[in-house]
Amino acid sequence: MGAPEKSQANTNSMQRVKVYRLNDEGKWDDQGTGHVTVDYLERSEELGLFVYDEDDNETILLHRISSDDIYRKQEDTIISWRDPEYATELALSFQEPSGCSYIWDHICNVQRNMHFNTLNSEPFHSVNSEPRELPAVELSTLPLILKTVVDTGFADQLRLTELILSDQEFFQKLMEVFRMCEDLENIDGLHMIFKIVKGIVLLNSPAIFERIFSDDFIVDIIGALEYDPELPRVQHHRKFLKEHVVFKEAIPIKDPVVLSKIHQTYRVGFLKDVVLARLLDEGIGANLNSIIHSNNAYVVSSLKDDSTFIQELFARLKSGTTTQESKKNLVYFLHEFCSLSKSLQMVQQLRLFRDLMNEGIFDVVTDVLQSQDKKLVLTGTDILILFLNQDPNLLRSYFVRQEGFALLGLLVKGMLTDFEENMHCQFLEILRNLLDSCTLSGSQRDTIIDIFFERHLGQLIEVITASCPSENTADESDKSVGPGRSAHRQDGTKPEILSNICELLCFCVLHHPYRIKCNFLLNNVFEKILLLTRRAERYLVVGAVRFVRTILSRHEEQLINYVIRNNVLKPIIDAFVSNGNRYNLLHSAVLELFEFIRKENLKVLLKYIVDCFWDQLVKFEYLASIHSLKVKYEQCLDNGGTKDVVTVVDLRRRNDERALEREEERYFNEDSDEEDIASASVPRNQKGHQQPNLSNGVASSYSQLSPRSLVDYEDDEDDEDYKPPPRKQPETSEDDDGVLESLRLKRKLPSKDKEPELVKKQKLSKNSKSKDSVFAALCSTLSQAALPSKKTSISIQTSSRTVEGRMGSSENNQGDVQSISRSSSDNSDIAGEENHIETEAEDSRSFSDCLHAKSDNIQLGGEERPLVAPKSSPEMAVNGS
Amino acid sequence: MSSDLDKQIEQLKRCEPLKESEVKALCLKAMEILVEESNVQRVDAPVTICGDIHGQFYDMKELFKVGGDCPKTNYLFLGDFVDRGFYSVETFLLLLALKVRYPDRITLIRGNHESRQITQVYGFYDECLRKYGSVNVWRYCTDIFDYLSLSALIENKIFSVHGGLSPAISTLDQIRTIDRKQEVPHDGAMCDLLWSDPEDIVEGWGLSPRGAGFLFGGSVVTSFNHSNNIDYICRAHQLVMEGYKWMFNNQIVTVWSAPNYCYRCGNVAAILELDGNLNKQFRVFDAAPQESRGTPAKKPAPDYFL
Repeated sequence: MGAPEKSQANTNSMQRVKVYRLNDEGKWDDQGTGHVTVDYLERSEELGLFVYDEDDNETILLHRISSDDIYRKQEDTIISWRDPEYATELALSFQEPSGCSYIWDHICNVQRNMHFNTLNSEPFHSVNSEPRELPAVELSTLPLILKTVVDTGFADQLRLTELILSDQEFFQKLMEVFRMCEDLENIDGLHMIFKIVKGIVLLNSPAIFERIFSDDFIVDIIGALEYDPELPRVQHHRKFLKEHVVFKEAIPIKDPVVLSKIHQTYRVGFLKDVVLARLLDEGIGANLNSIIHSNNAYVVSSLKDDSTFIQELFARLKSGTTTQESKKNLVYFLHEFCSLSKSLQMVQQLRLFRDLMNEGIFDVVTDVLQSQDKKLVLTGTDILILFLNQDPNLLRSYFVRQEGFALLGLLVKGMLTDFEENMHCQFLEILRNLLDSCTLSGSQRDTIIDIFFERHLGQLIEVITASCPSENTADESDKSVGPGRSAHRQDGTKPEILSNICELLCFCVLHHPYRIKCNFLLNNVFEKILLLTRRAERYLVVGAVRFVRTILSRHEEQLINYVIRNNVLKPIIDAFVSNGNRYNLLHSAVLELFEFIRKENLKVLLKYIVDCFWDQLVKFEYLASIHSLKVKYEQCLDNGGTKDVVTVVDLRRRNDERALEREEERYFNEDSDEEDIASASVPRNQKGHQQPNLSNGVASSYSQLSPRSLVDYEDDEDDEDYKPPPRKQPETSEDDDGVLESLRLKRKLPSKDKEPELVKKQKLSKNSKSKDSVFAALCSTLSQAALPSKKTSISIQTSSRTVEGRMGSSENNQGDVQSISRSSSDNSDIAGEENHIETEAEDSRSFSDCLHAKSDNIQLGGEERPLVAPKSSPEMAVNGS
Repeated sequence: MSSDLDKQIEQLKRCEPLKESEVKALCLKAMEILVEESNVQRVDAPVTICGDIHGQFYDMKELFKVGGDCPKTNYLFLGDFVDRGFYSVETFLLLLALKVRYPDRITLIRGNHESRQITQVYGFYDECLRKYGSVNVWRYCTDIFDYLSLSALIENKIFSVHGGLSPAISTLDQIRTIDRKQEVPHDGAMCDLLWSDPEDIVEGWGLSPRGAGFLFGGSVVTSFNHSNNIDYICRAHQLVMEGYKWMFNNQIVTVWSAPNYCYRCGNVAAILELDGNLNKQFRVFDAAPQESRGTPAKKPAPDYFL
């Protein structure tokens, strides 16, 4: 049988596996890395699994496929079994899920054939007679060919593939017969040819694909696939390709190979997404994608290396004599070019983008953004997004130069412009990307932030003030915030734009708190933003609430003091009160704000709210959150007194002023400079809170992030008041936290037991790399290649981690989740795949856990669950090995 | 407006996606409606409850065939409208258009797949990109996801949610204080409601192998139902081969409405019809026959440079 021949790269990676063997100590020994094939055992008609070492072609594994049900497929990438000959457990860990499912399917096929054999007590070969040769292709032989194609078992599929490939004229003749049948309207013949072509496609052989997708055959192949006997009508794919699809050439491409690949790519994509959409399985989809991918890479790199091509492109883009129409096409071309460069390797892509930048692509975009043609403008923004996704600092470096100022201005203007029916969310996304402090560095940072805050912040605020009812008119309509209220549209700014501004401002608060302090505390910016509460659109009112909530999540004394001194919460409370008993998003958002203040123990705010607004709020005291706010307020006034039941007695009792903490007292009497107050007034224990989580660029509630104990529900009366201690205990616990703490221990003893478990979960769930890391630990040598489309930086990071290491480290960027997510998007296995991202806890399960898992993925109640042995407790799942 | 909308609904029923501009208008309208809904949205009987759809448009048409058209029948969809199937765009837009057209007749709550992160992996993102040539439609739709309600309460007696319970939530009133307008967080009450699963072998609470949410056992359900005075919980989120499955002595039921899930699981689907007196009837249905499925209506963009 010998070692397999060097096949195509993608087959290679599909077959790439690591072999593991369970040793006597119950550990998995790595037996080596190689390529797996299914083939006949020497001098035998039985089939086996072979793994040949990738370096020296030595046989790492030889396993006779058993008819017994000993094989298990786990996750997407592992096949394991108890091997009777080795007398131990063996496992193959695949680089690619598609490879795993490919081999898995074949094992199942072989087993099916064996069972069939036994039933008929006939030898293997008499059932599926191995095709020795294909008959010559003629109309009369179609049934025979069809039978050969459809009836072959797995081993014979390999042979069939060989036979088809060795017959140089097979497809030519088949297509001749096809055209003849079509001319004669021989529907039976056409249906047979459909089934033959479908069967051949399902062989999923890259070599066959190469042949049938060539210029000579691809159109006829698509034609043959129009005659699906299962569909009520004949499809018209070729008609669509011929009459509707237009190949546009912005700059003529001379290289015939490049041209041919461009057309092929489009057609293969069409086959995949339209013609074959229902027939494809993962393996075939993966092979088609890899054809598209490598074609794109070829095309882009040929064009980028053609310096005259690029020069001509930019010369025409910049030339004053180019017509509007052809300039438009050039920009669309440029967009597609940048977009397809994703198929290049990371380094090459970065180099390409840098070259394009040097050619002046940002000047071109600046020009485009000033066009009257809105679709063109949006294409310009799409180009910028491609750059930002690649490396935000490329675009940022442009802003350091004078020309960049204009571009930034255009982006802000774009965000504020009404694009009517066009979607223009790109502007907000670009600005957010540019201002993202997580990726900003050095001089760029200062420049871009300076320009933005100095030149554009005011502009944004102005749009808000101009679009909201002024103070006076608002007072009149104060009592009717509902949707029934007549809308105050001071100018034509679309509410959608206001909502985007509000979102960007929230983002700025999180990313540039210092700037916010400098810029927002002047000029009543807060108050201006809160004018949004006067808008009729409830989602804008909610946006304003969210803005305040974001400000408070900073735990900045100065900001909090500003809020209080300037009565910033008034419009929020007013909006809440006039919302009445409607249980809508506004209602929930404000209650969440109150909960946050209470749970974070922001005493000055508590006092401010209750003192100033209790008259208004009292009618909502039936709501648990409002009630607890008051209770908490009472507690604060009591200043660490000896209450051991918090819900008690004297709720209405107003405590004396003397009960106020001295600092607070000072605050309430003070009228002087805010700096002065800020330095002293807020209790120290609000410092040192960690940054709020960023989801969707906005703070998610702290309370949802903080560790909660698992409360028992037998007596949940006081859960309302139960409050876990802040994550970081204040050094000086001068308030009632201590009391609460001891209370908590007294009351909630049962829940304490469960806390370690929770902590574990939190660590794990923070760890977004999970599955990948397990994989990395399993096959460290594979890790780079194993996650092909993942960004390099992440692969490196991942591969350097170990299972043990992961348990401890938990501070991954949220952002990573996204980039990882994308990487697995091409694989779509039903059950296991979701684990890549969704199941973050499973990462701790050791390899052996995976291997022993018995449950089938797609079982009752196991929709998207990873495999865990049904009897293993969740704790086992955590503790793994 | 409503005649435009009716036209769009007809178009979507033929599985033809809307233009970008129409999607934009529809989403803005939907936002105004959804912002007024509660985290625990009240729903009146009679109503028909549906589980995961996952972009299986033609199977959803079967669902409407079995359950009756909206607005003749009132519907409650428990989330997971998108991902995995071939027609997430058409599926979600049709449901959203029905929501805008008949706000009181159809209730949509959020599933764990109604999220930016998840849809980038499981198909909705790619589908939008393929069908519209840009991801703007995806951006608009995911913004709408943030406004979707988290759960529903039918006649004060049946609590409906996509995933399940949360250790942070022992009373329905505690759901009130969630500011739901955000990406589904990685933990906390909102996450749990969308991610948790009931599990026979778990006593109390257990770690979920999904990595988000919890597993919860029968005792948890008993005490939740008792303290909130509800008859049972209705949820989706897990494939059940028979379409529905009771657990814990009829205290919680899973309803699954994507037949032949992912076009290959071979399961049947179910919806739960409740009449005015909350009498239950499960209607089980199969996947749409092959003939009724058109080929994908939307071809790739007809112009190409490369």
